[in-house]
Amino acid sequence: MPRRPWIRGGESFTLNLTPLLDVVLQLITFFMMLIHFGSKLEGATKDIRLPVAPAALPGKDLSLDRLVVTIDRQGRLLLSSGAIEADAADAWWSEQGKRRVEGQETLGGPTEEIPTLVIIRADKDVPYGKVRKTLSAAQERGFAHFTLVVLRGPER
Amino acid sequence: MSPAMGKPKVRNKPDEGVQFPVTPMLDMAFQLLAFFVLTFQSPSLETHIDLDLPATPLALPGESQGAARPFPARRVDTDLENDLFVRAEANELGDLKGLRLGELAVPNIPTLGDRLQRYVQILEGRPLRVRLAADDTLRYEEATRLIAAISAAGATTIRLTNPASELQVEPAAAKTIP
Repeated sequence: MPRRPWIRGGESFTLNLTPLLDVVLQLITFFMMLIHFGSKLEGATKDIRLPVAPAALPGKDLSLDRLVVTIDRQGRLLLSSGAIEADAADAWWSEQGKRRVEGQETLGGPTEEIPTLVIIRADKDVPYGKVRKTLSAAQERGFAHFTLVVLRGPER
Repeated sequence: MSPAMGKPKVRNKPDEGVQFPVTPMLDMAFQLLAFFVLTFQSPSLETHIDLDLPATPLALPGESQGAARPFPARRVDTDLENDLFVRAEANELGDLKGLRLGELAVPNIPTLGDRLQRYVQILEGRPLRVRLAADDTLRYEEATRLIAAISAAGATTIRLTNPASELQVEPAAAKTIP
């Protein structure tokens, strides 16, 4: 019967696990330093290219009640049901505002301003006027809190 | 003297070292490693510019009551103007063609940011309000760069105005959240 290779002269061979443990702890430290819970903004899509704003400061935590609005290069709103034009967008904003005001009334909260945070993801090549009109349309329906999603990048 | 006292102390197995069980620790370490690897998100360059825009219904003029009323008293700052006007003009391609801070031409956005930053320091804590009138044809990227620069310079309020009807409509008074 052949001898087992890890036993020599009656002494068992012990695997030195300490370096392995060192490496694993290093990796744990690395991933711990990089961990970010829930930092990504929802609504990311490849249909639009976000603008780069070098002076933009790191964003802060966002409220829980959020509404993501994506604006494509033609200035249309991209919804889960498809793209809608500016005329239909007014009706959509109206419906969104109405639903939220009803929710506020049900909860007994103030209805002058809707606390929902509107996250605007707009293509970098869309005319600014389209975005401004979208903001105005949302404002007219009672939305007051907005955030523009941009990319941080080097100065060109 | 008992015979036991004279005996030398016998060490237990002097040639064997203390065995520290590393395996459970390694198991835990792998568990932690798996957790962090699975929850890892690649660093994103995405950030956001917060705007606090008062809802328009509050800003709309009320119905005429048939009686003239004086405007409510407004605090007048007698020393330095803290309500600045920034005008951004676009060329036919939508790129930024011209930039003015009040009546003064500004070569580019970083310079505008620097000047506003210096102005904020001069104001010594008083809020700086900026009215931004950009052409509707301006590319959104240029507009966000402008807004980000003004916000980073320390402006407390950015008002997004329509250059075509700047005196009549002020749709978006954007209070940047520092």
